[in-house]
Amino acid sequence: MQLKNRSNISKALAIASCSLLGHSAQASANTEKPDDWKVDAAIMYYGEEDRVQAVEAIGNVQKAFGDESLLDMKLVVDSLTGASASGAVAQSETQTFTRPSGNGQYETASGETPLDDTFHDTRVQASANWAETLSPVWKTNVGVNGSKEFDYFSLGLNGGVERSFNKDNTTLALSGAYTFDAIDPVGGRPVAFSSMALRADYDTEEEYRAAFDMTRMAGSEDKKTMDMMLSVTQVLSRRWLFQANYGLSSVSGYMTDPYKILSQVDDTGTTQSYLYENRPDSRLKHSFYMMTKGALDAGVIDFSYRYTTDDWDLNSHTLETHYRYYFSGRFYGQVHLRYYQQQAANFYRPFLMAGDPLPEYASADYRIGDMTTYTLGLKFGQRLSGGHEMSYRLEYYQQNPENSGFDLVGQLQDHDLFPEVKAIIAQVSYSF
Amino acid sequence: MNRTIISIAIAVSLSACSSLGVEPWEKDQLARADMALDSEKLDLALDDHIYFSKEGSSGGRSLAGGGCGCN
Amino acid sequence: MRKLLLLLSFMTWSLSAAPSLDYQVQNLQGELVSLTEFKGKVVYLDFWASWCGPCRKSFPWMNAMHQKYQQQGLAIVAINLDEDKVLAEKFLTKLPADFHIRLDPEADVASKFDLQGMPSSYIFNRQGELVQTHLGFFEEKSAGYENEIVELLKE
Repeated sequence: MQLKNRSNISKALAIASCSLLGHSAQASANTEKPDDWKVDAAIMYYGEEDRVQAVEAIGNVQKAFGDESLLDMKLVVDSLTGASASGAVAQSETQTFTRPSGNGQYETASGETPLDDTFHDTRVQASANWAETLSPVWKTNVGVNGSKEFDYFSLGLNGGVERSFNKDNTTLALSGAYTFDAIDPVGGRPVAFSSMALRADYDTEEEYRAAFDMTRMAGSEDKKTMDMMLSVTQVLSRRWLFQANYGLSSVSGYMTDPYKILSQVDDTGTTQSYLYENRPDSRLKHSFYMMTKGALDAGVIDFSYRYTTDDWDLNSHTLETHYRYYFSGRFYGQVHLRYYQQQAANFYRPFLMAGDPLPEYASADYRIGDMTTYTLGLKFGQRLSGGHEMSYRLEYYQQNPENSGFDLVGQLQDHDLFPEVKAIIAQVSYSF
Repeated sequence: MNRTIISIAIAVSLSACSSLGVEPWEKDQLARADMALDSEKLDLALDDHIYFSKEGSSGGRSLAGGGCGCN
Repeated sequence: MRKLLLLLSFMTWSLSAAPSLDYQVQNLQGELVSLTEFKGKVVYLDFWASWCGPCRKSFPWMNAMHQKYQQQGLAIVAINLDEDKVLAEKFLTKLPADFHIRLDPEADVASKFDLQGMPSSYIFNRQGELVQTHLGFFEEKSAGYENEIVELLKE
């Protein structure tokens, strides 16, 4: 059978589909009944040049009960190693830092960005979701999720309703979630803006220990998040679909990163001390998202735009697109492009000046500073017999932090305080 | 100000939505598995996790709607 | 005068835009036939398409109903709405139907019936009157659908 003709491909695709509550049911050649089970699995490697490396494995299982109910379960295991920027600035001298546990220290060579490599952590996350069709126009879902890593625990509940209008051309969805997180940092939570105790400053181990303990608070901290999203999905035409969402998120509790510090420098840009960072204990975020997705004869294309803003004054714009092209009815290639631009949180500063009074909140974490990121990805997928599919994805992700308007004093001008972070993402997925 | 404009835009598009769309038998293309909004949900979940960890903002997507509209 | 004619034709059109057996559809050979050929039987009219998942589930059930009640006067007529006949034929090779298959590729009859979703089924009594409409096909409700057929067959 010749599949060179584009419209043949689209017909082949049209047959192999239809969602049952979002669950694809493919008629297999040998059985009359569609399979009630659907399994998706993926393993992903994320690696930054000289920094963090992570491996993540996901398994997702969907089981349909009759034609009105769907159970969706997911298990994720990820493992993180490597170093990430601590927030301290590069110096012309060698720097020594105390590890978060207080046991031992690490050094940063002259001219290098200080990276803390203490992080080796494994996280396990599990979630379950139940979706129910209540009537031809009403659908509902409820779910629970939890995750655990060495110093972190999270538990959440989510629920939503969907109402369709106009012969299912318009769908309105309202969903909400509540999440509770508890963090018990390695070495105890640092006292905000306390100065990092350095072994070299003390004569005896006991004196050092006493000083270190003064910078720590025992016990765990928690954080509560309430999310709400209003979504409208609209069929524009036979081939095009559109979605617009508004999301509101309210977070309260401990949001400081217990492992991040700021360098306090003098007029020559030379570090006098390292202070543990401090972030506000509440955050109200808004997100506005729009996307359109189109069915092409030999492919699929989507475009999306997201704008976020919050009371930390961190605003962002995201533009993203995916373009898939079917080389045959069974093999496709897909290009992914993403552009992200973020404006620094109002308490972000790359360093503190020794003479100035301490601000109420401060963080030098580049992830909340001015930043532009670019993603370029390529994915290939092949459909195998029996409705199985295998795909491979390779992406390049580059983060470009930028100076949001701070004067670099003295020796700080000789160093790159906003280095690029380059990462590779590689993933293999299988579904059946 | 921006927020007001955007919320009005969403409300207007909602009301304009009543005349847009296709007949139930014209949903063949939208019924395609690759047109479902959750068609690459593992990729989307992995991406969201990466960007949530490396950037200052998160969220936005919803997986509701679309599809063949059957049942 | 032209406006009056237009209004009149619109009114007649909308009057005739209602579910009934007085429509013509194609058979698998491409010939135009009328649905009135089934008058006198209890007619289960089902609109389906090759890309519709629940339609795949409804076929085995419709075959079972055909087996059980055809002798008593049940006529199951499944009207396909695929634009391309080839897709319907491919579907039928995987899920063969013992009941009547008809085609409505331009969706003329589907428009007259004002379908609200896929699949849609319409049950007519022996007098050719519409007595029941179903939106979608749910395995859980199939016993209920069967009861309705049995009741009508008793008349």
